[in-house]
Amino acid sequence: MDFSFKVILHNLPFLLAAAKWTLLISVAGMAISIFLGIFICAARISRAAWLRRAAAVYISFFRGVPLLVQLLVFFYMLPHVGIDLPAMAAAILAVGMCSAAYTAEILRGALQAIPAGQTEAADALGMSPVWLWRRILVPQALRLGMPSLVNELILLVKVSSLASVVGIGELTRVAQNITGQTYRPLEVYIAAAAIYFLINLVISQLGRVAERRLQLN
Amino acid sequence: MEFELFHRYGPALLRGFGVTILCWVAGSIGGIVLGFAIACLYRWSWRPVRWLLQAYVELIRGTPFMIQLFILYYGGPYVGLVLSPVQAGILSFVIYGSPYFSEIFRSGFGSIPEGQIEAARCVGLGEAAILRRIVLPQMLVLITAPLTNFIIILSKETAILSVVTVPELLYETQTMAAETFTYVEPFLVLSLCYWLLVVLTSWLGQKVEHRVTRHLRRANA
Amino acid sequence: MPDNRDSAEGAPIITVRAMSKRFGDFEALTDISIDVRRSEVLCLIGPSGSGKSTLLRCMNFLERYDEGEVRMEGELIGWRDDGAAPRRPLPSAVLREQRKHIGMVFQQFNLWPHFTALQNVAEALLRVKRLPRDEAFARAEAALGKVDLADKAGNHPSGLSGGQQQRVAIARAIAMEPRVMLFDEPTSALDPELVGEVLSVMKQMAAEGMTMVVVTHEMGFAAHVADRVAFLDRARLVACVPPAEIFGATPADERIRAFLQTYRERNVV
Ligand SMILES: Nc1ncnc2c1ncn2[C@@H]1O[C@H](COP(=O)(O)OP(=O)(O)OP(=O)(O)O)[C@@H](O)[C@H]1O
Ligand SMILES: [Mg+2]
Repeated sequence: MDFSFKVILHNLPFLLAAAKWTLLISVAGMAISIFLGIFICAARISRAAWLRRAAAVYISFFRGVPLLVQLLVFFYMLPHVGIDLPAMAAAILAVGMCSAAYTAEILRGALQAIPAGQTEAADALGMSPVWLWRRILVPQALRLGMPSLVNELILLVKVSSLASVVGIGELTRVAQNITGQTYRPLEVYIAAAAIYFLINLVISQLGRVAERRLQLN
Repeated sequence: MEFELFHRYGPALLRGFGVTILCWVAGSIGGIVLGFAIACLYRWSWRPVRWLLQAYVELIRGTPFMIQLFILYYGGPYVGLVLSPVQAGILSFVIYGSPYFSEIFRSGFGSIPEGQIEAARCVGLGEAAILRRIVLPQMLVLITAPLTNFIIILSKETAILSVVTVPELLYETQTMAAETFTYVEPFLVLSLCYWLLVVLTSWLGQKVEHRVTRHLRRANA
Repeated sequence: MPDNRDSAEGAPIITVRAMSKRFGDFEALTDISIDVRRSEVLCLIGPSGSGKSTLLRCMNFLERYDEGEVRMEGELIGWRDDGAAPRRPLPSAVLREQRKHIGMVFQQFNLWPHFTALQNVAEALLRVKRLPRDEAFARAEAALGKVDLADKAGNHPSGLSGGQQQRVAIARAIAMEPRVMLFDEPTSALDPELVGEVLSVMKQMAAEGMTMVVVTHEMGFAAHVADRVAFLDRARLVACVPPAEIFGATPADERIRAFLQTYRERNVV
């Protein structure tokens, strides 16, 4: 066995180009995850029992079914019910919706750390619930949940590789294609792994910096 | 919905379910054993070994499972490691799970106050006895929840094994869907199956946790 | 104090010679030499951070001292006594053998919370002394009886008061029949009304002739029970004298005077 760095060097541009899509899926997925997660979290702790139950079922289902299966269902279901999304958009949506279940729980945990007195103070001032959430609770929950949210983003970078199964040309898929041409799976997949690792390293470092910034204030 | 399909493909699906369970259970047990070994090595060895272990943990946790699986299954033969899909699936599970398990064990070790261990050293207990009699029983209580949690996460990752043609539940379902040109129903039913599996194991996990923490609750009563 | 011990002038059981200990660049103990004599009660006092705990912990090698020697009945503690430089620590089995003879009681009790009081005491008898079960538990019960806790044998630590927990910790140590007992502020974590019960157990041990080294902030105990009092200040041993010379009208050393002065001020409430 000769480990050929030439193969890696030769194909690196393609892999890096594909990594852009990996990043897009995970970052866009994270945005959807946070946006949806806020609402699911709000429903999860709302006063209306049916909302709470609906949120609990959502969380339980999306956390209980393998993401790969969710992706497949999404891909076969959407056309079936007459929705025609580009593959990339469908993948991002699926990843985001799944992740939202986790984000909702992260935010719920963070909200519990906010003293109830703050809510009471806002109530005493006659602040509307929407305003309370937008200005007081959500910003603090995001800050408190920051470490877990960064973790979640790292997770999304990793699970974005599943999108290769439904034919999206992100990093894993492109690595597969290159392997098909070069018959050099070891080199190509190790190179892909290194790129994933570097992306996650950068994210976790950025997360640490952000955390320190937030703490100082 | 064509339930007749499920009748025809029932045996294949059941076999697939068996393979899923096999990979999951074998992978979890192997991962726990390897993870425990890593955590112990980390605790009782010199700095260079620790760096190596830390690097291993970070590398595995920083890369997707699917890529690890590909390296093992497709790359393995190039270094003389020819594995069947199921073997590759289980082995990759062991490797993938071990750093997460080792971190759980490490945090468990860390949760026992140093003073208790010093007290044990003072009466002459050896390291092995301290681990077995003082550290493990107490940390078991703390780590059951994260342990079952991660085992449940692993149960879902089994679906990824279908990508390297491990004949597990998702793979068999995909085969059925492709042969019969029905897609929506099989995957919906499949989702339900996984969901039930996860709900069931979470419930079981809670039972186990309840049992394990029994003596603690009695002690605090 | 009634005294049925052989003699305060007993032979040294622990000898510390020119011992130093550093934490990184920080010198926690400098050139300490002190003897612990058989059947005596030696109290260590001094300001916070002066190195009292460190000295105690070097005596059973919970901390590795850097220079000098600690010997128990002639045997070097912790390091191999083969003259090699740098010194290498003893194999762990030998170190365990040494520690069997040195009991230790901690400020924070350090009981094992998943065992009952009885199991806490019996554990080392079973696993270190390798006594048969019946004998181990009989001895453990006897030890609990000595600290007046026979009726709490079945309680877990969470079901005991602080004073009771500390007494179980003492029973755990004396059940091993050590030659020396080390106490690191055994009453500092206790509510004031629980201090007395622990001190009276310690007084009784002293009366029975146990050799004890006690780090304490209980000046009453040091003044009335100790045979000698050692004063540490900034990593150095300032004095090691009978209590009268420290708690008498005017101690010779002004560091001791200053220490006792702040001490009195703190306690005049
Ligand atoms: N593990 C350690 N690492 C670094 N420094 C230490 C360590 N243990 C103790 N020290 C330092 O050594 C000095 C002596 O500590 P020691 O605990 O012996 O003081 P002490 O006299 O027992 O004080 P106290 O009355 O507060 O218990 C202190 O300045 C302390 O900060
Ligand atoms: Mg101290």
